Amino acid sequence: MVIFLLTLQSTLISLYPIQKVRPDLLFIMTFYLAFLFRPILGGILAFLLGYLVDLFSGNPFGFYTLSRPLIFFAGQFFKERFYLEGFPFQFLFSFLFSLLEGILILILMKTFQAFPHGDHSFRLILTLSPQSFFTGLATPPLFILFQRVITIWDPNPEKGVMEGMGS
Amino acid sequence: MRIRGFFLFRRYYLFIFIILLLLFALILISLRAKQGEGVEFFDALLLETCSPFQKGATFIIKTVQEIFQQYIFLIHLEEENRRLKQKLLELQEENHQLNEVRLENERLRKLLQFNEKNAFTMMGAEVIGHDPSSWFKSITIDKGERDGVRKGMAVVSPEGVIGQILKTSPHYSTVLLITDYNSAIDSIVQRTRAKAIIEGKGENRCQLKYLLRTEEVAEGDVVVTSGLAGNFPKGLKIGEVSKVDKRGHGVFQYAELVPSVDLNRLEEVFIIMKTLPPILIQDEKKEKEIQKCSGPIYFF
Repeated sequence: MVIFLLTLQSTLISLYPIQKVRPDLLFIMTFYLAFLFRPILGGILAFLLGYLVDLFSGNPFGFYTLSRPLIFFAGQFFKERFYLEGFPFQFLFSFLFSLLEGILILILMKTFQAFPHGDHSFRLILTLSPQSFFTGLATPPLFILFQRVITIWDPNPEKGVMEGMGS
Repeated sequence: MRIRGFFLFRRYYLFIFIILLLLFALILISLRAKQGEGVEFFDALLLETCSPFQKGATFIIKTVQEIFQQYIFLIHLEEENRRLKQKLLELQEENHQLNEVRLENERLRKLLQFNEKNAFTMMGAEVIGHDPSSWFKSITIDKGERDGVRKGMAVVSPEGVIGQILKTSPHYSTVLLITDYNSAIDSIVQRTRAKAIIEGKGENRCQLKYLLRTEEVAEGDVVVTSGLAGNFPKGLKIGEVSKVDKRGHGVFQYAELVPSVDLNRLEEVFIIMKTLPPILIQDEKKEKEIQKCSGPIYFF
């Protein structure tokens, strides 16, 4: 599933962006992992997802290796405290978390001086909002899709595995 | 005491795991900041594992696109054919004129005893994937270290400069595009010979940095590589100036550039493998005539 999404993200979705903005499928996957997996296995998977994104991107430092486990643990923290079922809540949380990840990466970029030729923070913030919006919009349908795949794969999930998703 | 420690560990094991995982991620960032020391092996391993899937997906997408282009979008074929024939005639005429200029140039060079310009060998590669993140600009190609690709090598297309090799694995490589914020190439404006550094500005745009205010640069001016950076031979087209602004203060003026290559629609690229000294060019050209362009190596 991870490799399939990575392939989709780096081929089809990159070739046909919506107004130069692409929903981040791997971010949605990481977010979903928070509801599906237990902390240790999910944390390692989120770490690997981040590592893969860094590997195939022009990012020379590897910021996603740090940000994706953080997103996962934040999702784990919130899943029992908030109602996360239904389109509006899933959209809102994904949108907010995507924005937060963007801001975190910007901070990391500034900390590690990843802009060797001047500060482009403002320009990146401008692209961040529509990017997060599209990621948020794509989240509810993808959550349904992931859930269907998981149900086919394992029709009787362990108690507690799907907690937070209302299953 | 030992039992108490065990219970404390069980109580806080998750917290310890989270701290360790994040610490490991920070160590990786630190290692990458030191030119990828220690992580190159894992990078290459994962690149080798995942790239075949990208290659397969790109092949499927291309095949579907070709089917659409060949069988469905044939409506304007006749008109396009007529237009292309007209264009061919124009280009033949232009080619004839350019040949005349080339011969004249050769004669003058001999007269002036100029050194012949360096040429270079190139290898073709197929684009199999684009950057999965929206903030960075890179592509993955299907040629790696086993094909002689090394970090820093220049990547071009017939339309102009694309970028340079950022990461390599035995069979695949990642190319940092000229529009990425981390990219910088030494360049000159073809018409006025004004020097500038081309820096990436994200979506299909670059900026000409350190362009002196006293230099006369206009919209539409072609910008080429200066040859000073080492990886990029001199005279490769980078793009055209799209915006000039002298209203600000300071020593430098502001200018933007649009790359001559559409970096969102890349399918094939060429990697510049080596620059040949003038004496070898003739030998290589003879070899080329024998091979009749059968191999993947091309010459300028």
